[in-house]
Amino acid sequence: MIFSVKDVQQFQTQKDFIDTAIIPLLSINFDDSSIKQSSSAAEFMMSLTNFIEQQFKGRLMVMPPFSYTEETKKGLDINAIKDELHRGGFKHVLFITSDHSWTSLSNQIDIIWLPAIPLESMDKSVKKSVLDEQLKQVIPVLSSKWSQV
Amino acid sequence: MSNNRVTRRQFLNYTLTGVGGFMAAGMLMPMVRFAIDPALQTKAEGDFVQTSTKIADITEEPVKVDFSFEQVDAWYKSEVTDAAWVYKSGDIIVALSPVCKHLGCTVNWNSDQAHPNQFFCACHGGRYEKNGKNIPGTPPTGPLDEYEVSEKDGFLLLGKKIANTLV
Repeated sequence: MIFSVKDVQQFQTQKDFIDTAIIPLLSINFDDSSIKQSSSAAEFMMSLTNFIEQQFKGRLMVMPPFSYTEETKKGLDINAIKDELHRGGFKHVLFITSDHSWTSLSNQIDIIWLPAIPLESMDKSVKKSVLDEQLKQVIPVLSSKWSQV
Repeated sequence: MSNNRVTRRQFLNYTLTGVGGFMAAGMLMPMVRFAIDPALQTKAEGDFVQTSTKIADITEEPVKVDFSFEQVDAWYKSEVTDAAWVYKSGDIIVALSPVCKHLGCTVNWNSDQAHPNQFFCACHGGRYEKNGKNIPGTPPTGPLDEYEVSEKDGFLLLGKKIANTLV
């Protein structure tokens, strides 16, 4: 599911089945030296979350990404986001990011950190196999969450 | 000089009718062409999509075949990648859609150790037999969809998604 009207309506009727929220956290950097790297990481994260969504459409909802810059990052209270999603009916709330600094919060929130892979130079079939490999990193996290009940 | 001479009046009549006829035809032809145009449109590639899988390589064991096609959404064109589970059943080639009929996850072949030789949906434990029939007691409410199958130069072509015909 994605955060669209059609999918949200389905979520409201199927809360027993759609119990997981995935929130991408994107670091946006406008410095001349980092803007390219930042866009590449964002592209990777969006491709990957789209792929996860396609594979597990019926159980999880990929939320619109929460983006921040170095300055605004301190204001992003992801514990509050997590609590609000729990109240909204999601049993499992997972954050996914390629920004390493979030892993310091891994004792409070469920966070999947994956180093960004520059996809822009790859052709389609390589891209697909890279995303397949990355998905394999995510599946164990999801299945351990889901088997907790 | 022949006996039946063409008079000036006759000559002008003939030429005017001829030229007038051409002018009328020149105006009417495009109109007629426009009117019957929809009937002359060729269907885009017959809706079949070429895959890179050879017919000869398909076995009894389902394999995932990826294929992509261009999807036009208003003015936005995008390349969509889709997949099918393809296997041979006797002489017939079967291509099943991997989309679970429960809530749309992607099913995998033989991925659940407890239930081998079945399609398994990791989301809510939905299971299907090899022909796509949903197993009662699991969440899915219907069998997996099927793709129309065709062949060209030894390669597999996949067509429209249709309701399962094997169950």
